[in-house]
Parts: sequence; C-alpha cells; structure tokens
Amino acid sequence: MNLKKPLTAETISLDLKGDSKDAILAEMVDLLVASGHIRDREAVLKAVLEREKRMSTGMQNGIAIPHGKTDSVDCLVAALGIKRGGVDFGALDGQPSNIFVMTVSPDSRTGPHIQFLAEISRPLNDAAVRAKLLAATSPDEVLHLLIG
Amino acid sequence: MSGPAELHPLVQFVFQLGVLIVLTRVGGYWLRRWFRLPGVLGELIVGMLIGPYALGRFAWPGLGHLFGLAPGGGAVTPELHAVATFASIVLLFLSGLETDLSAFLRYSVVGTVVGIGGVVFSFYLGAGCAIWFGLASGWLDPTALFLGAIATATSVGISARILSERRKMASPEGVTILAAAVFDDVLGIIVLAIVVGMVRAAGDGQGIAWADILLIAGKAFGFWIGATAIGLLLARRFSRILKYFQSPEAIAALALGCALLLAGLSEMVGLAMIIGAYIMGLSLSRTDLVQVIQKEVEGLHNVLVPVFFATMGMMVDFGAVQAVLKVGVVYSLLAVASKVLGCGLPALFCGFNRHGAVRVGVGMLPRGEVALIVAGIGLTSGAIGQDVFGIAILMTLVTTLLGPMLLAGSFENPASGLRKPEDAAKTESKEIVLSFPSPDMADFMRARIVRAFRQEEFYVYRLAPDTPTYHIRKDEMFFTLECEGDTVVLRVTAQYEALARLVVVEEMLALRSMLHMAQENVNIETMEHELVAGLFSDDGEDGP
Repeated sequence: MNLKKPLTAETISLDLKGDSKDAILAEMVDLLVASGHIRDREAVLKAVLEREKRMSTGMQNGIAIPHGKTDSVDCLVAALGIKRGGVDFGALDGQPSNIFVMTVSPDSRTGPHIQFLAEISRPLNDAAVRAKLLAATSPDEVLHLLIG
Repeated sequence: MSGPAELHPLVQFVFQLGVLIVLTRVGGYWLRRWFRLPGVLGELIVGMLIGPYALGRFAWPGLGHLFGLAPGGGAVTPELHAVATFASIVLLFLSGLETDLSAFLRYSVVGTVVGIGGVVFSFYLGAGCAIWFGLASGWLDPTALFLGAIATATSVGISARILSERRKMASPEGVTILAAAVFDDVLGIIVLAIVVGMVRAAGDGQGIAWADILLIAGKAFGFWIGATAIGLLLARRFSRILKYFQSPEAIAALALGCALLLAGLSEMVGLAMIIGAYIMGLSLSRTDLVQVIQKEVEGLHNVLVPVFFATMGMMVDFGAVQAVLKVGVVYSLLAVASKVLGCGLPALFCGFNRHGAVRVGVGMLPRGEVALIVAGIGLTSGAIGQDVFGIAILMTLVTTLLGPMLLAGSFENPASGLRKPEDAAKTESKEIVLSFPSPDMADFMRARIVRAFRQEEFYVYRLAPDTPTYHIRKDEMFFTLECEGDTVVLRVTAQYEALARLVVVEEMLALRSMLHMAQENVNIETMEHELVAGLFSDDGEDGP
C-alpha cells in the first residue's frame, strides 16, 4: 500500500510535549486533526483510548503504535510523534516509549489498518533507523527515513 | 455383447447413478484413508473397474448388465454422459469462481513465467509425442492437438494438500506453485478453446490449413477475452440483480443457470461448454457473492464430480490401451518431464536454486479434472479414439500418483530453495500457533481471524470444502490458516510475521473483551433461563 498518502509532514511532530500516556495520545490525535479527515476529535480519542484499555500498544525499543477504528474518520489517517526522553506507556519491555505511530481508520469500511501499522513500523526494527529518527531535525527527514 | 436391455433406460440410469455415487465415495475414502492418495484416483479406478471394459461385462444380480456397453456401442449411456457433462460444467464454474483474478493479474512475475513455461513445454511434448509415435500425421492433427492440450493443465489441489501437510504453503516454492497454477488454468482453457475450434473447423476431414489457424485462434481467444471482459464489467451489476432475490439458494441457482446458458452459448460458437462455465465463474469471482455461491453449489459439486471422474474411468477400453501402452508410458513420462523442465527452468532464472526449481516443477506435475474433461471432449467429439483417451487417463493416473510423492520427497532436504540466502531469511516460514481450551473456541477464533484479514482487504478462501485450510493473500503477501481440533495455526513468511501477529493479537483482545462482557452481563443467564423455561412442564403454563 502507499504509505506516503496518510503520513505527511503536517501529521509529524518531532517534539511531543505531553508527560503522560493520556497527554501523548491527545496530542497525537490533534496531529491527526491536521489531516483534515477527522469529523469528531473526541470520538477518535475515545476509540484510541478504548483500544489502549484492552492492552497497551507500547512495544519494545521505545516504539508504540496506538490505533483505533471509528466512523468519525473518512479514511485511514496517520501521525508520527517523537517524545524526547520518552514517557511511560506501559510498554511490553517496561521501558519508556519515545516513537509513536498512530493510525485511525473507518470502522464500517474495509481497508488496510493493521497492515499500515505493520508496514510503517517495519523499518523501526532497525536500531540505526530508530537512532536517526530520534535525531531527525525535520518531518521531511522522518518521511525520508520511513518511506524513502 | 448386447446392450443392457433388461431395465428401462431411465431405471437403469437411476441405478447407475446410485451405484456410482456410493462406490466413488467409498473408493475415494478408502484411498485417502489407507493409502493417503488423492480421492480422484479412487473415483477413476472405481469407474475403470465397473465400466463396460472390465466388470461391466458381467450381469448384476437382478439388474442385468448395469454397466455394459450402451446400445449405440458407447462406453456410457447418453443419460450418464449428460450428468458427467453437467458435472464438468459445475466443476469449471466453481473453478472460475475460485480464481482470484486480481491476484492473478498482480501476482508475482515468477508465477506467470513458470505457468507459461509449463504450458508451452507440456503442449509441445504432448503433441510431439503423438507425432513421434505415429499417432498423428502432423502438429495440426486432432490427436496431436488434444494430447498437447490434455497435458497442459495442472491440478493444483493435490500439490496444495502436500504443501499444507509439509507446512510449505507459504514458502517461496508454495506461493509460486499456487500462482503459476492460476495462470496455468487460464492458459489451459484458452489452449482448449483454440484446439476445439481447430478440430471442429477441420471436422469435414479436409484438415486445416495453417492460414486458418490464426483466424480460429483469434476467434477462440476473442470469445474468451470478450466474454471475460463483458463478464467482469457487468459482474457488479449482475451481482446486484442476483442480490435482489435475497435468498442464497436463489442467488446460487440463478448464477449456475447463467453459467449453463453461457456454456451453451460457447458451444454454439464452436468452443467447449466448460469454457463458458469457467468464464461465468471468473466473472463472478470479483463480486462479494463468491462465498454464497460456493457454499450453495458445493453440495452439488461433491455429489456430481466423483460421478464425472468415474464416468471418465468407465470410458477406458483396456484392449485399445494395450495396443498403445508403450506410447502411454512415454506420454506419461513426457508429461512429468514437461512440467519439471517447463516450470523448473524458468524458476531457475527467477531466484530459485536447483532444489527450489525441482520443487516448483514437481509441484506443477499432477493433472486432473481439466485433463480428463479435455480428453472426454476429444473422445465424444470423435477427435481422438479410445486408444488416445486411454493414454490420457494413464497419464492422469501416473502424474496424480507421482506428483504428491515427488513433491513430498523434494522437501525431505531442508535446504533453502532460493539462490540468495538473504531472500531465504525473508521468506523463511514462521508459525503462529494458538491453542484454545476447546475446538469450538478454536473454530470461533479461526472465523474471527478470517474476518479480520478480509477487513484488511485480503483475499481469503478455503482450499477445499473438506479441508480446514485457508489461503490469505494480498499482493505479494501470502499466509495460510489452519484449524485442527483446538489449535489454530497461521503460517507466514518472516517478512510479514509482524503483520500477522498484530492482526491476531487484535482478535485475541476482542475475544477477551467478549468473554469479559459475557461474564458481566447477567442478561445472558436470564435469556438462558427464559429459553428453557417450561420446555418439559406438563401444563405448559411456563412455556414460551
């Protein structure tokens, strides 16, 4: 699938401000709002929080992939955020999370959702890519690292 | 020997059908159960044994010569032949329906190259065999054309079972075999269309000039492409009309009815009936009615198709085959060699090493239903004789027997089939095994995972009605899902393992939520009580 379409420079933040999981999620949803495809910010946040309640999307090596499904979005939207120093996200390895990839897609329509998360996160398996991502100085640099 | 005059033809037909249905089921079951061989072999052998050229010579107690030669001297009665023809239409309609055309168009170049290689080599060696042994006077002789066409189509179901058992379905070899088989099917049908067109054009015994070939090939190909294009264009509109009738039975019956109409039309324009049926299935394969139609037509398929295989077996005249047995053996060996080389060599140039190429080649080896249908068309149209028909059956038996054995053997050596080790690491097969407390729960989760992949717009289909194996495909991604007892196994390539794990974990979380909600929801207990309240009370006062 075309990874370039949902993830744009407008939906990338290199300096998330929040200090808690909830604050980070809210900030990420605000980034999604920038995509212009969100009709109801609160419904999107609720969908993401409900998914987090079932099990944290904090994986290993500082990566977290919060996501949710709601019909308050027109199509798959995505955002990427970096939190310097990391934040406790209840990750699998107990370490703070510092790279966040968020996806929200329509609930009643079929289409890639998990596939997008899996593909966009694949380069993050590489420690060198993670290091470069954390050192990135512009959203375009992030896009170049993940999508090429 | 005189024809079976003891019974009224209709009564004889009913008895024949009954006996064939029972014996093919039992024969197929035994062969599968005891010898782990494909059921189709059992069905063919049952037909050969009870047919007019073997036990059919003897009278059945009280029923006379039930399977003797038909009054006109044919191996089967017109009634039974009609059922076999109908079965072949159902078979090809379902085969078309199962073809994932978009995946076929998009799928790896390797599969396409391998498929073309197999078809070209098989046709050349099959037709060549007829010429080299004096059965045909030239490349345009009907016998040569039919022996070429019969050798082309792979029956991938048999290989798919071996790949599934060896857990190699998602391996590069497995994916290539399955993709190539789709191409092989489509190409095989086009070859048949051209061959039938040529043979019919030459039906006046005058032969056919090379100059006419292009015209006939163009007509056959044109009908195929034209009908397929129209079918695909109108498929969604047609599916909307079908949905108007709401009931799945009506939808399936109407779709099958239209398949028969298109089959008749294709016969009228000088092509084989199965081509029309295949095109109808192919057209509907891109609609959301596939599963509905498959489910409804499968019952018919399960009853009729074994009868078709047995009928083909009944047509084998052992006396006629004896005379050309040597040719039959050579033809069978060439059929083996043509796929091993025709598919293996292109595989060698597409990233596979020697091990991989051999696996791809032997995986494409088994011939089955399409070969038999083509042979049947050749025999009944008079284009080929009993001897050539026997050769075709022998080849089907040999390749169906050898294919699974050679494919299983080729995987004994665990060496990678790819030339580049880094590619091998990417495509290394991984297993995600989920054990549940009960088979019911495993089946429930299997259904959830299937739905989850469909929601991600993957193409998911069940391999065969009696096999709990699913293929899950999208672009170059390919997974298999199996449910055995209380265990669900998802096989993936290392490259896409993360995606598969993430999909499964979401479904596990959904299951946990559901269980939690069910425990908390007191209404369920109330509903249960309401459902059984008064069921066994004499006065019925508390009854529903």
